Amino acid sequence: MKRSWTRWARAVTVGTVGLALVAACSGKSGQDSGATDGQVTLKINFWGDFGLQDLKTKYEAANPNVKIQLNSGEYNAQHEDLQKKLVAGSGAADIAAIDEGFMVQFRSQSDKFVNLLDKGAGSYESKYLAWKWKQSLSADGKTQIGLGTDTGGLAMCYRTDLFKAAGLPTERDQVSALWPTWDRFIEVGQQYTGKTNKKFIDAGSNLFNPILGQQQVGFYNEQDQLQMEQGPKVAFDYTIKAIQAGLSANLASFQADWDKGFTSGSFAVLACPAWMLGHIKDTAPGTQGKWDIAAVPGGGGNWGGSFLTIPKQSKHVDEAYKLLEWLVQPEQQIEIFKKVGNLPSQPALYSDPAIADFKNPFFTDAPVGQIFPKMAQGLTPQYLGKKNGPTRVAVENVLIRVQNKTLKPEAAWAEAVKEAEKASTS
Amino acid sequence: MSTTRAAPASSGRRAAAGRHGHGTDPDHRRPSWRDRLYRFDMRYMPYVLIAPFFLIFLVFGLFPLIFNGVIALRNYRLDDPTLTGWAGLANFRQLFGDDDFWNALYNTFGIFLLSSVPQLLLALIVASLLNRRLRAQTWWRVGVLLPYVTPIVASTMVFSVFFSRDFGMANWVLGLFGIGDDDPINWRADKLHAWIAIATMVNWKWIGYNALLYLAAMQSIPRDVYEAAAVDGAGPWRQLWRITVPMIQPVIVFTVILSTIGGFQLFIEPMLFDLNAQAATGGPNGEWQTIAQLIYKVGWKDLNLGYAAAMSWALFLIILVVAGINTLLTNRLSGGRSR
Repeated sequence: MKRSWTRWARAVTVGTVGLALVAACSGKSGQDSGATDGQVTLKINFWGDFGLQDLKTKYEAANPNVKIQLNSGEYNAQHEDLQKKLVAGSGAADIAAIDEGFMVQFRSQSDKFVNLLDKGAGSYESKYLAWKWKQSLSADGKTQIGLGTDTGGLAMCYRTDLFKAAGLPTERDQVSALWPTWDRFIEVGQQYTGKTNKKFIDAGSNLFNPILGQQQVGFYNEQDQLQMEQGPKVAFDYTIKAIQAGLSANLASFQADWDKGFTSGSFAVLACPAWMLGHIKDTAPGTQGKWDIAAVPGGGGNWGGSFLTIPKQSKHVDEAYKLLEWLVQPEQQIEIFKKVGNLPSQPALYSDPAIADFKNPFFTDAPVGQIFPKMAQGLTPQYLGKKNGPTRVAVENVLIRVQNKTLKPEAAWAEAVKEAEKASTS
Repeated sequence: MSTTRAAPASSGRRAAAGRHGHGTDPDHRRPSWRDRLYRFDMRYMPYVLIAPFFLIFLVFGLFPLIFNGVIALRNYRLDDPTLTGWAGLANFRQLFGDDDFWNALYNTFGIFLLSSVPQLLLALIVASLLNRRLRAQTWWRVGVLLPYVTPIVASTMVFSVFFSRDFGMANWVLGLFGIGDDDPINWRADKLHAWIAIATMVNWKWIGYNALLYLAAMQSIPRDVYEAAAVDGAGPWRQLWRITVPMIQPVIVFTVILSTIGGFQLFIEPMLFDLNAQAATGGPNGEWQTIAQLIYKVGWKDLNLGYAAAMSWALFLIILVVAGINTLLTNRLSGGRSR
């Protein structure tokens, strides 16, 4: 007994010494490079291309005490990283971009973000699309956690060469006239598949989401109760109808087969928010001039769009707000639109000739500066519940199972309701 | 009990008295620096040298494990900060009625069987081939390790394209044999196909690694045992099963435990195989959702960290049990020589 005690005591002593050594070696590495001689480094986290590269140089030249660090990552990874940093209490960027789809999740943690209203952002309210302003406002309306950058808008991109081969009109106004409603859209699709024996749309879920986006009420009402029988049912029924008519190529967005579909003609039409144009251009550069953009059936609609927020953890809140404010000014927003196509969410800019007269050469000179603003303005704001993301995934999964023929279309709605309920309570 | 308590105290006193008496005791030779260093080296140096492992384990292993256990007993939801406090065993009770958990367990088990068994068998065969005299021996030995060196995300993404429905190479190869010409296999539509695809990725990565472990063990088997067996008329196959396997049995047990742990923590492969990877649902109907993936989904998608922690603990216990059973089985199957 005696012996074992002293052994333990030794082990502990040695351990402590070792710990001290480790601690000594690791000291002073976490120093923040921020505030030496008034120099401030601001880190911006976002995904894809926000068109910030040139703006960074411009801002740094005008503000010699500020260095901007652009950190572009993968879309989901950035949001999850932000969530983890918020929980951990440190490490988040000075300015964090948040997408519409994740906004509800972060809005409910508004105490972890700088309230931009305190910084005087209230004066921007009138400049924004009303629903865009509301999307990043906390439930009690007292905390504004972000300022909107771009908005998706909605239109339909289509392949003129494939339409021509199927004997359909190719001129964009005539195509828009083909499908005033989703019923007509499905009929056009049947015509197309009947003639060519090819699929018409890329995926059922990419039909479901735009239709759902057009409904008054989405998955949840303002009390965060699941409302499957209204908006979701309408969108679901149209989608099942289209799948049964054999229109869907059953591809998953942003996957290899989908990307390949742009060049191989696996589908002829897909729902196109403004930011999608850049993706098509990058994925299928060889199809230049074969695409055009028509109106979306059933009027307006929105898909995507982002916000810039300042987490409270930021050590340079004032400088970050100054930069954020600068980024959402008309001049910068127009430059971003021209550079990467992201449509600003301040309607006053839509009449600016720089946007209104802009035509996209890749899409047969489609007047994108006309099409997308019109869609964004004709929009009824829809409340996205806290559990909107998981619920959407659950219903999309049911649609995929129908497309995979592992679930019968007749049984699909009951299954969708069941899965949505599960997702809403998980 | 009283003696054990008294012992350290008295020993401490005695030690203190001894130390104090060093200078005054005329019989006791004053230890030189050399002696002290030598004694320090002999007695304490081993502890110093192994300490970093235990310290790092304490910080990054044991502490998270315990902290995780605490969270498992609490309500901890990121999307509802008001809901906090002790939950008791509620999280664990929820586990038993959760279809998703049982489905994930079933998937994990299925993929584990489809990967571990062929993986270790093939590794054994590869190792016994490498153990012969070959031309460019080193080249082959390094070659089998290459898949292990490949970053797992990179290889999984390649496999993900390999198993895609419309333009995937797997379907193209099968098409050469006339399989699935009109209706190509949708690898992501049902359990069996998805499991096979994922198990293929796991096997590809780990066969070479295990083969090298086996090879190292095989090198220590004396040649004359094989010679004697050959004289007695045992062919290569018989030699493999009757001599090699029993003689490298401890290493086999080791690889079985390793692949059990790895198999039950399977995450990156099923995650990246999913077309909608960020949803972490493991297929439209959870066809290949593993437990690790489910934990990730519950924690970071549903933002229910308390429940996710409970699942992690359950996974820990399951791994312990399965690894134990596997060790017993392997011991039995290969002759029980390790003890």
